[in-house]
This record gives sequence, structure tokens and C-alpha cells, in this order.
Amino acid sequence: MQAAGRKVAVVGMGGAFPTCANLDDFSDKLFSNQSLIRQWDKAAAYGKQVRSVVSGYITEEEMGLEAVLAPIAENYPETYIDTLGRIPDGNLATADMGSIWGMLGALDSIKMAGWTTKETQSEQTGVIVGSGGAGNVVLRIAWHHFFEEGRKSRIAGSHTIDRTMFYRDAANISCLIKNRGVCEAIGSACATGLGNIGYAYRLIKFGLQDRVIAGGLEGTSLETFIGFDGMQVLSKGFSPEESSRPFDMNRNGFVCSFGAGIVALEAYDMAKARGANIIGVIDEYFNNSDGDGDMFYPSFAGQQRLWKGVMPDNGLMPDVVKMHGTSTPVGDSVELLSVVDALGESGYHVSAPKSQFGHMLGGAGSVEFITALLMLQKQMVLPCLNSVNLNPEQENFQKTESWTGPKEPLAAYRDLIPQKAFAKEINRVACLNYGFGGTNSAMMVSRDI
Amino acid sequence: MERQEIIDGLLEVLKTIRTIDPARLVGVTEETDFLTDLNTPSTELINIAAKVEHKFGIEFDDDDIDHMGSKVKDIVDLIIAVKARGEE
Repeated sequence: MQAAGRKVAVVGMGGAFPTCANLDDFSDKLFSNQSLIRQWDKAAAYGKQVRSVVSGYITEEEMGLEAVLAPIAENYPETYIDTLGRIPDGNLATADMGSIWGMLGALDSIKMAGWTTKETQSEQTGVIVGSGGAGNVVLRIAWHHFFEEGRKSRIAGSHTIDRTMFYRDAANISCLIKNRGVCEAIGSACATGLGNIGYAYRLIKFGLQDRVIAGGLEGTSLETFIGFDGMQVLSKGFSPEESSRPFDMNRNGFVCSFGAGIVALEAYDMAKARGANIIGVIDEYFNNSDGDGDMFYPSFAGQQRLWKGVMPDNGLMPDVVKMHGTSTPVGDSVELLSVVDALGESGYHVSAPKSQFGHMLGGAGSVEFITALLMLQKQMVLPCLNSVNLNPEQENFQKTESWTGPKEPLAAYRDLIPQKAFAKEINRVACLNYGFGGTNSAMMVSRDI
Repeated sequence: MERQEIIDGLLEVLKTIRTIDPARLVGVTEETDFLTDLNTPSTELINIAAKVEHKFGIEFDDDDIDHMGSKVKDIVDLIIAVKARGEE
């Protein structure tokens, strides 16, 4: 059921991006077709214990942070020092690395939005930010000292919970900006970033909040990387910049990456009335579940229903579809065919930002939403890097009797899949993200014209 | 171990607690209260206790920490008592 409500504007954005000093640097690198993926020496140091060694990771130094190692527990990052003086020590003491990125992204978003202190600290301002994993970096060492070394629970200090709890990112941002409205985190695996923005959009649309800091993130964590490496789902055998290759015939897995994407959302009429710069207008958000009982395998039927939900005869034809496009064998092909099924074989392009920076897990949906906003700003389509060869033959699942989608092989859609950034008029971008558990999410965002 | 020596060691510990404003550590006396004078978050007291154990080579009982007051003299007294207990 669709319900009318208020229009919602995006008025600020910020975050943490691999190899990038700031949002402008991120934008410049993306639109010049660069890859932000590197060999990760920290993973490679484990030799044959790990399968993949490439990542879009971010170091503490690159974010202007310095770990303070606890004198009483070996290798335990007790807290961090912000060498650029952006966040007070008291706030850093309760944050893990990802939460700090979230706080920095929130500060940048609020600055870009131009919210006053009174507006930011209002009962009508919320924080909706989540991440995909637990605070693994902190937990691993805390647990080691207790379980393996038999030391007192207090050796890990009194911040193990606030630095690792599920909604730590939202809590830390809220304590920093002192908003008085909603503070929550939405979790939906790799759809987390878009899910949080979608929930925040609904809060404003239905009048429960006027402003929300929203987004998702995934702090650099070798522990998280190892989890996915153990599933045999990570890309292997290519140079770092060629490792993420959505839709390409030779793709063999995703690149496990890290980052943060935070946006400032505001009721459109209020933003317009105060003369704010409107970066984008959210037209619609829809999410659903596959309903087939499968934790991992993508569902064409689920994605068909997703498209009907986000484009229910409302004329919201996108000029670009920002794909989930992870570079996994089945996921990419099902996704592309469901897009073709919904939108037809022409009249739009697809863009897969993961081809440039990998899969940021809980940060994927929100960082990629920022790439959609950048496409609207630049009037340029971001590429599907490394999508060099498309399969000229049908996928195996297309040959089955139960398949009801397009029968053409992926190679038939070459014209939809640019390998380099290019300019074109873009008025609307559709954003897609999916997650373990069969969760699907889609958002339409437009230029303010 | 003299009380002043213990206070000096305690100050070294407090300097590593980043939620405490270093400016407040000037002029700390035995009557200084962690919570009201140093504005230390109550959750930080356990971190101070753990670091004090490490600094002075002692181990508090859980009851010691549960019943510890929030003034500098309280932790100094406790350090002396635990050290004496260890020497018995």
C-alpha cells in the first residue's frame, strides 16, 4: 500500500572512503574511472591462511586517527586520538573505528546541510545509522584476554559494550551532536546502508521527524574480512584494481571493503523555505523479502516484487540504475535480468560502484547512495569497471523450466553497461541493495528541478 | 611506599584516561573527588582501578572496588591496604 506523505530532501553528505582524503577526492577518483582497491598487506601477512588479499580498506592514519593501546592488555586499542581535533576525547572513548567514521560523516553532513545548533539538537532531529557487523576489532582482543588468558573482565575496560553494541554508531553520533529525537539502527546485512536511509526517509515522510542523520558503515576489520574469506565468496586471482568486476564473465567473488556513508535528510518544504541546497529528492523507498526460505541465493521473483513496489505505475523511470553489482557469479546475473525485466532493454544505463571500491557491507548501500547523488550532481554515469567480457551464452538458471525472466544472455545488454564514466542527462537514479536473509531494498532519488 | 609517591603514580594513571580533562589534574589533592571535581564518567572508575592494579603491581578484590569511594584518598588508602595484605 502506498501512502502519501511529505517530500524528503537530501541536504548533506559525508563519510569515509578508501584512499580518499574527503568527499571531493572520492568524487574525483570515481569519475576518473579509478579503483580504490589495494592489496591488503595485513591480510596477506597470514599467507596461506587466507584466500583473498585485496580490499578497499581504510587505515587509522588515513582518517587522521591514532590508536591508544591499553598498557594492561596487549594490542587492545583502548581509544583513539583524533590528530585533527574534530571529535572530543570523551566521545572517542566510547567509539570503535567505524563509529568514529560515522561521527565524522555526521559532522560533515550537518555542515553541508547548514543546520543550526538549535535545529541539530531539536526533538525533531533523529539519528538512524547502522553497520553490518559487530565491533569485531574490540571484541576479539577483549574476549582473548578473558577466555584464553584467564584475566579479570575489567582488563578490557568499561567500554567493551558501548564500543561494540549493535547501534553503537547511532549512539555515538547522537551523543556527539546532542539531537533530542529518535536514535536507532536498522540492520539488514548488505542492505543496511540503504535500509537506514529508507527508514529515516519514512520518519520524515510521515511527519515523525523533520531532520535525520542517516546512513550505514563498516569499520575496517580483518576479523570481518576473514569471515567472508572463509565462505569462499571473495574475489581471487586478479590484480587489486581488476578484482571487482561486476557482470564480467570471469568474475569470481566480491572484494571485501570498508567505509562509511552518512547523509542529512530534511523535510523538503522546510529545506526549501530556509534556502538549503537540495542535493536530491527521495521519490520512493521500498523493501521486501524473498520469501523462499533461502538465506543466500538471490530471488528473481523477490526482485520483481521489489521493482513493482518502488515503481508502482508512478512514472518514476530512472535514467541510471545504481546496481548492487557485487561481482559474484549468480547475484550479478539475476540482478541484471530483473532490471531488464522491469525497465526493458533500453532507455537507461546501469552503474556498479562496487567495481571501483568493492563491497562495503553495512556501508555499501549508503556510500553507493552518495555515488547516486554525485551522479545527479555531475550529470555523469559512473562505470562498471572491468565488465570487459559479458557471457554470450545463457546462464544455467535461464535454461531451466522454472525461469520466467529474460532469456537473452548477459552479452545482449552490453549497451546498458558502461565500462567508463560518461556524461548524460540524469534526472533520476534507482538504487538497489540486497542482503543475506533474502532482504531487498530499492530507492528512487531525483534532481530538484 | 609514601602516600605522595602513590598519588604521583595515580596521577600518571589519570593522565592516560582520555575522558578526564588534563587541565583538571593540576592541583589534585587527597580530597579531590573523581566524579565531582574531575568530572570523570562513573564508568571510567573501573578503568582507573584496572590501570592502578597494573601500575602498582597489585590485584584488588571485586569487593574492594565495589566499596571504593570516589576521592583520591579512598584509592590511596585501598592501595596501601592491598599492598599490606599482600605482605602479610
